[in-house]
Amino acid sequence: MRIGIPHFGNIYIPVRGMASKLGASSEELIIPPPSSQRTLDLGVKYSPIEACLPYKLTLGNLIEACELGADTLVQARGTGICRLGYYARNQEQILQDLGYGARFLTVDVSHRKFASILYIIKALSHGASWPQIILAFWFGMGKLFALDKIEKEVHKVRAVEIEKGTANSIYREAIRTMDEARTRREVKSLNREYIDRLKRVPRDPQADPLKVALVGEIYVVIDPFSNMDIEMELGKLGVEVERTLTLSRWVKYSLFLNPLGIDEWKEVHKAALPYLKRDVGGDGWESVGEKVVHARDGCDGLIHLAPFTCMPETVAQNIMRSTKEDLPVLVVLCDEQMAKPGMITRLEAFVDLLQFRRKKRRGKGNSKVFF
Amino acid sequence: MVKVGIPRALLYYQYYAAWKTFFEELGAETIVSEPTNQAIFACGNERAVAETCLPVKIFFGHVISLVDKCDYMFIPAVRSMGDKAYNCSKFLGLPDMTKALVPECPHILDPDIDLNKGRRDLLQVLHNSVGRQFASDKGRVKKAIESAWEANSTYRNRTGEEKITYVEAIEGIQQRHRQLDSDAHQELKIAVIGHPYVVYDDFVNHRLISRLEAMKATILTPEKAFPEKLDICMARLIGKAHWSFEAEIVGAGEYYLEAGVDGIISVAVFGCGPDSMMIEVVRHAARDFGTPFLQLSLDEHTSEGGMLTRLEAFTDMVRRKKICV
Repeated sequence: MRIGIPHFGNIYIPVRGMASKLGASSEELIIPPPSSQRTLDLGVKYSPIEACLPYKLTLGNLIEACELGADTLVQARGTGICRLGYYARNQEQILQDLGYGARFLTVDVSHRKFASILYIIKALSHGASWPQIILAFWFGMGKLFALDKIEKEVHKVRAVEIEKGTANSIYREAIRTMDEARTRREVKSLNREYIDRLKRVPRDPQADPLKVALVGEIYVVIDPFSNMDIEMELGKLGVEVERTLTLSRWVKYSLFLNPLGIDEWKEVHKAALPYLKRDVGGDGWESVGEKVVHARDGCDGLIHLAPFTCMPETVAQNIMRSTKEDLPVLVVLCDEQMAKPGMITRLEAFVDLLQFRRKKRRGKGNSKVFF
Repeated sequence: MVKVGIPRALLYYQYYAAWKTFFEELGAETIVSEPTNQAIFACGNERAVAETCLPVKIFFGHVISLVDKCDYMFIPAVRSMGDKAYNCSKFLGLPDMTKALVPECPHILDPDIDLNKGRRDLLQVLHNSVGRQFASDKGRVKKAIESAWEANSTYRNRTGEEKITYVEAIEGIQQRHRQLDSDAHQELKIAVIGHPYVVYDDFVNHRLISRLEAMKATILTPEKAFPEKLDICMARLIGKAHWSFEAEIVGAGEYYLEAGVDGIISVAVFGCGPDSMMIEVVRHAARDFGTPFLQLSLDEHTSEGGMLTRLEAFTDMVRRKKICV
């Protein structure tokens, strides 16, 4: 069996880690090339025209995996309110029409999440026992958690480093070495080492970076190709990015803590209640709540990322505009028509506005400023 | 008498019979907004975020047009109509979006409808968020729900039995009798697949149905078939439903393909999430059957002339194909 997976941020690293722990060769786990213009073009060409960006990109990834000989593909499935639950059904048909008779293994993202993931790992292993599988899963997750911790530090350093690009090159190196790590101990020491190195990066002592929260639909928030490296661009402009959504957080809560009744979004949902009373699928409820939370905790602005025509985020957008918490919001809709220079111009204008607003606020003490 | 406003948009077409009965049982009067017109559209369009789909923008317009005419606005958040199949997010966000965009709206009755949770939950929810405003007695709410349920199945069976559209059935309810279409033997049989709020809103679709009828076509819409049949066809084609109205789109597509229609026209609005996926399934099935398929994607910029040309070209093509085969 040759399993191909779509890209989603750094998810290929833990998956590759698990596979190598279970003795699967690189022939058996096919990681498609990183998302590129070609991936997007392929996805756009074969997708229904009005499908959302994550659909098109993952389809592109799966086609590229099939080209490398994958015969089994992994995709999400669920009974949610968003289109995600429909991806596998539709994409299987499209791939069949293209002549790739690949079978789909689906990760259920609404019920029995953990079990469906374990079954996929089981399929990948050569009849490994369940304890071995759990260990491999644990090892892979170790990498994911370490990378997310490093990334969080990178967000801080990027905004204030003296020599722009230092944090990025450290982060790139971290991704590479983390991918190669063989043992859990190695992962841990790499984690410490990189956090240390990031902490030692020379920083501008006078810098007082703007803090901007990044919220929205999880795929476009996490996957840098789909949002055109928005975090890096913000870092270049000297902005510290605050992002709650990470893959490791999803894994930690959805797979382990939510079944125990611990809800990571409890506070956020509570904050959203005056404006949105119920879950609207996807990450819509969370986006509204996060605006309220971030307005309270002193963020300077908020960037709302969503794939074009994303239903839950459209609801969130409509509601977010009229909350009484006053926080500038920049909506960035991601699709195949997006161009980087346009986005950078918008970011620059937004950051200028935030800086101006902050200056005015500080100058006038607590008096209210209208824009 | 207390007046409850019901916007003539979105789920109105499917559930008006049930809603009307429900409120009448509770001793309230229902006020329905006018059919969509330019003014209604403009009001809604100006408030909503540009990316919102057209029917939802129009919905806000209907709400605004009712603001001064009623004491309550009925905007249920319909999560699921059963079978673990769910609705689009926008239906769930409707009451809260309305509150955000139409602050002058009277008190919104916003029950969270999820039939997967069972009858008792439905009673509780409807009692808490709707019934309490009209009757303190839970028994009365229960009776109202039962009558509404009854009215809904009668309504739905009627459209299937008499082969009439929702709009015709609603008018029938108001006028007590309806004249049957006499020239049913038209030349072409064309299935129009789409959500009722797109197929029957003449403002959105530029009078698609009457135009097609003028082109000598018999129009078959999803509700003219029995729901059970649609369910079976959907199950045969793709299995379990993911969306609430999947049987009405995918099921109806397959049903009419099997029935051997001459052509299928799918009408969807631009940016519709569920349709972007479901129409693809129907398109695929139509290709396998070799049945002509026209996909209309409508939005506020759709020009009437352009659409007419496409319809003419399509019916001409279907007619020619029929002669040749």
